[in-house]
Amino acid sequence: MWRLSLSNALAHRWRLALTWVAVALGVAFVAGSLVLTDTSTRLLEEQFRTSAAGVDLTVRGAAAFDAAMGVEVARDPLPADLADRITAVPGVERVRALASGPGQLQVPDTAVQPAGPTLLGTWAEAPFTAYTLRAGRAPHGDEVVLDAATAAEHGIAVGDTVTVSATASRTLRVAGLSGIGDSDGLANTTVVLVDLPTAQVLLDLGSGITAIDVIAADGVAVPELRADLAAALGARYAVTGGQDAAAASADAAKESISYLRIVLLALAAAGLVVGALLIANTFGIVLTQRAQELALLRAAGATGPQVCASVLGEALLVGVTGAFSGTAAGVGAAYALRGLASDAGLALPDGPLTVTARTLVVALAAGTLITVLAALGPARRAARTAPVQAMRACDPAPTGARKGRLVSGWILLSLGVIGLLAAALLRHITGVGVGAVLLLSALVVLGPALTPRLAQAVGRPLSDLGAPGQLARHSTVHNPRRTAATAMALALGLALVAFVAVLGSSVKAIGASSTEAITADLLVQSSGDEMLGGLSPQVAARVAGLPQVAATSTVRFGHWLDGDVTSALTAIDPATLPKVADVQMSAGSLAALDGGGVVLAENVAAERGLSVGDTLAMTFSRHGEQQLRVVGLMADDTARALSTSYVLSLGTYAQHYSENVDATVYVALADGVDAAAARTALRAAVADFPNAQVLDQAEAAAGRAAAVDQVLGLITVLLGFAVLIALLGITNTLALSIVERTREIGLLRAVGMTRAQLSWMVRAEAVLIAALAVLAGVALGLGLAAATLAGLSADSPLVIEVPAGQLLAVVVAAVLAGLVAGLLPARRAARLDVLTAIATR
Amino acid sequence: MTVTDQQFAPPPQPVPPIAARAVDVVKTYGRGETAVRALDSASVAIAAGEFTAVMGPSGSGKSTLIHALAGLDGIDAGRVFVGGTDLSTLTERERTLLRRERLGFVFQAFNLIPALSAAENITLPLTLAGKRAERAWMDELVHMLGLQDRLDHRPGQLSGGQQQRVAVGRALIARPELVFADEPTGNLDSRSGAALLRFLRQATCTLGQTIVMVTHDPVAAAHADRVVFLADGRIVDELSDPTAERVLATLAGLDVARPDEPVEA
Repeated sequence: MWRLSLSNALAHRWRLALTWVAVALGVAFVAGSLVLTDTSTRLLEEQFRTSAAGVDLTVRGAAAFDAAMGVEVARDPLPADLADRITAVPGVERVRALASGPGQLQVPDTAVQPAGPTLLGTWAEAPFTAYTLRAGRAPHGDEVVLDAATAAEHGIAVGDTVTVSATASRTLRVAGLSGIGDSDGLANTTVVLVDLPTAQVLLDLGSGITAIDVIAADGVAVPELRADLAAALGARYAVTGGQDAAAASADAAKESISYLRIVLLALAAAGLVVGALLIANTFGIVLTQRAQELALLRAAGATGPQVCASVLGEALLVGVTGAFSGTAAGVGAAYALRGLASDAGLALPDGPLTVTARTLVVALAAGTLITVLAALGPARRAARTAPVQAMRACDPAPTGARKGRLVSGWILLSLGVIGLLAAALLRHITGVGVGAVLLLSALVVLGPALTPRLAQAVGRPLSDLGAPGQLARHSTVHNPRRTAATAMALALGLALVAFVAVLGSSVKAIGASSTEAITADLLVQSSGDEMLGGLSPQVAARVAGLPQVAATSTVRFGHWLDGDVTSALTAIDPATLPKVADVQMSAGSLAALDGGGVVLAENVAAERGLSVGDTLAMTFSRHGEQQLRVVGLMADDTARALSTSYVLSLGTYAQHYSENVDATVYVALADGVDAAAARTALRAAVADFPNAQVLDQAEAAAGRAAAVDQVLGLITVLLGFAVLIALLGITNTLALSIVERTREIGLLRAVGMTRAQLSWMVRAEAVLIAALAVLAGVALGLGLAAATLAGLSADSPLVIEVPAGQLLAVVVAAVLAGLVAGLLPARRAARLDVLTAIATR
Repeated sequence: MTVTDQQFAPPPQPVPPIAARAVDVVKTYGRGETAVRALDSASVAIAAGEFTAVMGPSGSGKSTLIHALAGLDGIDAGRVFVGGTDLSTLTERERTLLRRERLGFVFQAFNLIPALSAAENITLPLTLAGKRAERAWMDELVHMLGLQDRLDHRPGQLSGGQQQRVAVGRALIARPELVFADEPTGNLDSRSGAALLRFLRQATCTLGQTIVMVTHDPVAAAHADRVVFLADGRIVDELSDPTAERVLATLAGLDVARPDEPVEA
């Protein structure tokens, strides 16, 4: 049977070619996603490991948790004399005090914005780090060493002056350029190294330091020394292995990559599902065409299972070869994905790709399994071929839906719709997911039953286009299973595109409405849009000192642990916030925050059953779990404008967080001040803080919308991939149906259909299938998006914004793409020789 | 549609006595050693208003001749006329339009488009030309073919005989100058076959329809006004007002002439 599979697959190779392409594309997506995220993870690990090379142990301030939402927590600075205490512990060979943190680099004209972070660190030589001087010398005083890669990129040479800022800002002379290990720098990262006193000044640490690296004496076991140090220093300090500390830093950075991996793999799965529909369809058609041959096999004594096995063997062959090529292509796709991700504002480290055995196994298995599973249905149908069919010169009769299929389909559909509605009304997002899956399966099952009527209706305009249009409509209606499977594949892809578009525009609309509570004229923000912003407090001070400014209020953000879940909070100044925002309190007062405690958003308070006077347990990285009294409840709109549902005073914040940077400074201008002039003044005042951006509300909103757009853009481009596979499906299905309908085409040509009419017929069929898919897909996408938004409305207002223009563009593009998908089969059909066609008996 | 279509509008009355003509037609398939001369200077004239049968042993060139006359296939030498039109001067598109407007076809099998109903199959040539069927003519045809109750059925729901009758309806609907029937009864049982032949006969008698039928069945050929015999790519004999016995005798004569060629069953 295996030899039969092989020769069949080879004999029908062009019929299976597009199936093979679909498998390969889907697998390439899976492999590409895995390779990219593996590579990024490894590069990040290497990068952090390299910078901690040679260090045995690291002493830092103790923290309840290491990292939250992709950011390492800030720890308490260490007293300078701690280094002496550590040196005194037996077994310690050398120690090195260091101060490091996030910073910015400004070359005379432009701020250097690396794709990743700018690390401000303390210069050290081996054995403490892998930094190696490539040019110049180590930094002393007002000097700095930059990584060679950044210097090369921005044309900075030894002797130039640059501005380095963190909490404070200094102009420094470039003393040297450094490599890290063998490379010129860290991927997507700018490294700025100064001596310890300068770092302390820039980071505003006074005599404090952020960590102490320890090298153990020869012959001392590191784990024992670690225990000794921990015992000697007490619980206020954490002693970790140097590499462990590096790994923890890497983990924080890797967290965002793991989100990316989930998104990429989900999209790859969508591609594979679309591919599976296409594969099932292709095998179905090819086997129908071979019905007589299969019957002959059965007549010659092959059992049903043998026929089934031979078909599955063919699928296996297609699956394995497709998966192999797809995996190879996926490695290349990883580069493309990295480019796409960086266009969408997701910085991933650049470097050689990592291909793990796991990637190969997953990609190969996924491709092979999907193909074989998709061919299972057609193979089982083939096995049921009766031997007598070999004797009949029967036309393959299109099969309608069976009753069992109808019943289970309608049950699934009702369950899905009820589930979606219930979940939407109950604001239960998991329920929405379950409902969506039920609905999609119902459509796959019911597709063949629903298609004829739908095609009849959608195809009505085609009938006005004369005979080719009518014939196209007829043959689409006449082959419900094929039409349904082909359209369903495209519909699925389009549904996801529509879903993302509606969700995106609604999220943007929510974002726009949520800041209505802010009345500030201008705001100053860190240009890196991360939530834990890095504006020096001096920025707020300088802005407040300007004559044009009536009031300023600063906002900071922090992470805390809510049980096991990382959550965020906002710190505000109760005295000044009402001057820049319309604060609506429903209970308690904002001013009460000054006495400690927390203000909650109404919906959170209701959900938790808390009211003014109750206490909330919040875990902070520095002090562990704390009981905070609820001193007020805030309108949801106000809380949204402040970005989180938990609000502290800046004073309380300072007790629990060591970060001393502002996220946003809201500015109210004095009456009668010209806004444009005020902006110029503000810009001038903060000119030496390159990351400080002066924006008005509209620009800030546009910035947030642009961030949403970038991510949506990435997802849409990747979904385009699934749509592409589905369009290949249309081409494939039509090309196969041309083969199947050779005699029909010959007849049409004989009785007077012109070549032009024939190609119009095939193209019209492609367009009709695409139109069906568009209708089903957009409706499905809209429905699911509405249900999802309703399900999420517990945390945000229910705003459903349908981007009509965008959806219209999708509709037009899909129908045009359908036309393009029909071009090749149409050409094929038109080129069929009349005589050959009617002679095929 | 276009100006070209006008060119093939039915010619003015009176109908010319010769509906189609092949003059010294040569058609060769393959080349070199394996070349087969399917038509070797074949000349034949099809009289208008007559039912002509074309007979001959397997490989004698029957189908090639009919394909050449219908403009379905090109020829290597000689000329083919339908009415006054020389097919060799026409482009592919013009030949297609000629088939649509002036010719009708009935094939042995697979005559109908499975996705279309019987009525839609009948009117297909008109639909392709962007025209509507004349109500009265359609009714007359349907009535004559006994398909009144079958018009909404799909080909899959019709018997073989009914399918072929639908095909005859389609061949006649555009009032073509000439209908070509290629083994129209080949797949039918004898009763349905006889009924179909009666319809064709009736079309010639009552409507004056010119019909050319390829067949290997002497009984079928006996329904024709005239039988033309082909052997080795040439016209070798013909009979007027044939009977099955005379046709059989003539065929036997051809076999004597070519003893190494078996007669088609």
